[in-house]
Amino acid sequence: MIPETSELPLRGATGPCHVGPDALLGIQRQQTNPTRWNGQSWDEFARVLRDCGIVLRVTKAACGAFATDAGGTAYGLPHGVVIARSAAQISSLLKAAQQYRVPVTVRGGGLTTEGESVAFGGVLLDMTGMSRVLQVDSEAATVRTEGGIFWHSLAEELRRYGMDYLSAPLNLTSSVGGTLGVGGIDVNSSRLGCSADQALALQVVTPTGEIVECSDTQNAELFRRVILGYGQFGVIAEATLKIRRYTPLRMHYFYYDSLSTAVEDMQLLNRNDASDYSGILTIMDCAVNLLVAFDSDEREAAFQANWQKQLRGHGESGFALCMLKRYALRPWKLPEAWFLLQRKRELFPEFRRSEYMRDGLMHDRSVVFSRAVWKFWGSKQMVIPDLSTSAEKFVEAVEQGNAVCRKFFPRYTLYCVGIRLRPEHKPHYEMSCIPPDAQGWAYGCEFEPMMDGQSYSRDYLQSFKNAIYDIGVDLGGSYYRFGGMMKGYIRRVFGDEVVDRHLAMKREADPAMILNRDVIF
Amino acid sequence: MSNKRAAYDCSGCSLCLLVCPLWRRKRDLQHSPHGWAKALQHGATADELALAVQDCTLCRACDPVCPEQIDVSGMILKLRGQIRHPQTAVLQERMAAQAKRPAPAFQAKTALLAGETLRANPALLKRTAALLGSVVADDDGADIVLALEVGVVVPSERLDALIAPLRRAEKVIVADGLLLPYLAQWLPDAKIFSLGETLCSLVSVRNKLCATDLYVIEPRAYHADYVRLVKHYDRLRRERGCEFNLDLQRIAIPATSRSLPQRLGLITRDDDEQARWVLQGRSITRIVVENLEDRAAFEKVSDIPVLHLAELV
Repeated sequence: MIPETSELPLRGATGPCHVGPDALLGIQRQQTNPTRWNGQSWDEFARVLRDCGIVLRVTKAACGAFATDAGGTAYGLPHGVVIARSAAQISSLLKAAQQYRVPVTVRGGGLTTEGESVAFGGVLLDMTGMSRVLQVDSEAATVRTEGGIFWHSLAEELRRYGMDYLSAPLNLTSSVGGTLGVGGIDVNSSRLGCSADQALALQVVTPTGEIVECSDTQNAELFRRVILGYGQFGVIAEATLKIRRYTPLRMHYFYYDSLSTAVEDMQLLNRNDASDYSGILTIMDCAVNLLVAFDSDEREAAFQANWQKQLRGHGESGFALCMLKRYALRPWKLPEAWFLLQRKRELFPEFRRSEYMRDGLMHDRSVVFSRAVWKFWGSKQMVIPDLSTSAEKFVEAVEQGNAVCRKFFPRYTLYCVGIRLRPEHKPHYEMSCIPPDAQGWAYGCEFEPMMDGQSYSRDYLQSFKNAIYDIGVDLGGSYYRFGGMMKGYIRRVFGDEVVDRHLAMKREADPAMILNRDVIF
Repeated sequence: MSNKRAAYDCSGCSLCLLVCPLWRRKRDLQHSPHGWAKALQHGATADELALAVQDCTLCRACDPVCPEQIDVSGMILKLRGQIRHPQTAVLQERMAAQAKRPAPAFQAKTALLAGETLRANPALLKRTAALLGSVVADDDGADIVLALEVGVVVPSERLDALIAPLRRAEKVIVADGLLLPYLAQWLPDAKIFSLGETLCSLVSVRNKLCATDLYVIEPRAYHADYVRLVKHYDRLRRERGCEFNLDLQRIAIPATSRSLPQRLGLITRDDDEQARWVLQGRSITRIVVENLEDRAAFEKVSDIPVLHLAELV
C-alpha cells in the first residue's frame, strides 16, 4: 500500500527500521548504493577508447560477471568492462574518462564487501589482467609485480625461489593493488605491520592519466596518498614489495572461555615480541582460540621457555575438560555443546590437513586458512564489519562488538589481530584503518556472522553493521571497511577537517572525480 | 556428481582462477569457470560463451578447489553440449562405426585402456602392459573421449560396445584421465585406476624415483579423485622425496594446455608457456611423466631428460 504523503519520512531523515530500531538511532538513513551514473557522453567516450585500441566489452555476459562483490549485498552494472593490460592502456582510459567525465571503478579480486569494487555505471577496470610477476630478486629480497596479481599467485611464484611475501590477507584471491590501497592484515601483522607496509615503490597511473613511479623518496606525496588511499589517488599498475625467505610454521593453539582474557594474552605476546604470528578466532563466546606460531625452532623454544606458562589458555584436551564441566553444570545449554563439538569435528581437521603439514609444520598457512574461510564462512552474502582501535581500547571494542553480534545472529566468529605500526609510515595512516590515537600497535577485529544458509535482508545486515560501527565512533577508533555502503561513517569517525582536507586533495588530483568516485567521498 | 551444485551457486570467490591454465594464459575472467558461471547467472547463453568454453583444457583443477562444491567441469561439458560443434557429425559417424565392431569379451583380469598417444608408441605400450600384467583392450574408447570433450552425446550402442567386453575384468587401468570417472559410473563393480597411479604403485617403478626428479602427475585423473590421490602422492613424496607438479593448494599444474580445437587437431598446439611454468625455478635433474603427451611438451622447452614412468625400469 502506498503511504500517505504525510507518513513519508523527510528526505534524508531516519525512517522507521522494523528489525533494528535502536541500531539506526541518530544516523541519517543513507542511500546504501550510489545512484547509477547517467551515461552522458558514453558513446563518444567509447569511440575514443576504441580509437586508442582499448577493448571495451559491453555485453551482458561481460558486465554481469562484475555485478557484485564478495559481500553480495551491493549490486550494480558497469556500462562497459576494460581488462587492464598495461599502464599505458590505463593511462589512455583515465585521460578519456577525465575528458568525458566517465566514472572508472577499479577491481582487483573483488573481495570488498560494501560494494567498493562494484561499478554503478561507467567503466569497470578489471586489474586481474595485469597479474604477472616481473622480477624476483632473492638477494635484495624484493619482487616487482603487476598490481592486479592475487597474493596467492605471487606466493606460487615466490615459493619456486624459496621466498615468500611478508604479510597478506588470509584470502587467496585478494589482489596486491587492492590490498595496498586499504591495508591488509595477516596473523603476522603484529610483527610485520599491515600488508601495505611492505610496499617499497609503486608505478601509479594517476586519475588524470600520468604514469608515475613513486616511493618514500621519489614522488613521496603521491606514494603516501596511494598507500591506504582507497583507490582515490591512482591505479597501482606495478609494485615493488619486500619479500623474505620462506619458512613453514610451527603452530600452537590455545583455547579460552573468555574473550577478554584471550585478547589480553595476545597483547602480552605482541608487546614482548614473544611470537611470530598471533591471532584470535572465536568459535563461540565461551570458546575462543588464540593461534600462536613461529618461523623457527629457536623462536618457538624461547616462547615455550619464557611465555607459554603465562598464557591463561588451555590445550585441546584441557579445554575439553573445561567444557565438560561447564555443560555438566548447565544441561539446558547442551545444544550449544553439540554445536561446539560439531564445529570441532568439521573445522579442526581443516587446519591439520596432512597435505599441508609436514613433520608437524604447517607449510601453506594462507591456503589452509583461506580454504577454511571460504568453506565455513563463505556464502553469497557476506558482511564483515570491523573495528580498529588502539591497544588500550581493544578489549572494550571486541566485547561491545561481540554483544552486538549476539543480538543479531545465532552464530558468528570474531577474528582479531594486532598491527605493528611503523612510525615512519604515519603519513600513510591518516584517514585509514589505523586509528589516529594508536601508538606502537593498532588492533583490529572482524565480526563475521555465519549465515548458515539463511538469507537476511539488506536492511537487517545494514543495521548490524551500523551497530558495530557506532562502537567505533564512540571509542574513537577506525575501520578497515569504511568505504562503499559504510562511507556514511567517514565524517563521524575522522571528523570534517581531515575528510575535507583529503577531499580537496582528491579534487585536485581527480578534477572530474572519476576514479572510484563513490567509494569514500 | 549428482549431489554437486550448479553454476547458479557460484559466489564468485575466484579460487578457480588460481588453478586454471586457461585463465593463466589469458588473464581474462571471461576465460575462466568463474566468468562462465557469473555470465550464466546474468542470462548469457551457451552460444555467447562458446569460443571461451571451447578453450578450456578440461584439466578439472577447478573441481576440487571450488568451496561451493560446484560440478565445474560438469558445467563446462554441459555448456559444450549446448553448442553445435562442426565436428559433431564426424564424431557421431566414428562412434557409430566403432559400435558396429564390438571387441571380443575380455578374458584377462586386468584391462588396459591405453589411449591414442600410448598406442602410437607400440614399444612403450608393450612395456607398460608387461609391467602391469595387463592385457591391452582393443577398444579404449578414444572416440568416446573426444565425444565427451566436444559435448556430443555418446549413443547407448557405442557405450555398450565399450563396456560389454570389460565386464569380466576385475581391474581396469585407464590412460586418459577424462574417461576415468565415467568408467567408474559405467562399470560400478570394477576397480578403475589411472595408469599413472597404477604404475607408480609398483615397487620396481617407485624405487627408481629420486629426490631430484620432477614427477609430473596427469591432472585429469588426479583431480577426478582428488581427495584420495592427494594422499597417495603425498605418501610417494615422503617416501621418494621427489618434487611434483603440484601447486601450493596441491592441485596438479598441467604440462600442456590444449583447447578443444587443439585436441581435435584443428589448430597448432602451443604448450611452451605452460611447460615452462611447470619447470620455473626448479632444481631437478630428470622429469618423469605419467602422461606421454607431456614428454614432448617438456622436451621442446628444456634439455632436462624426460622419461615416462614405464621407462624407469
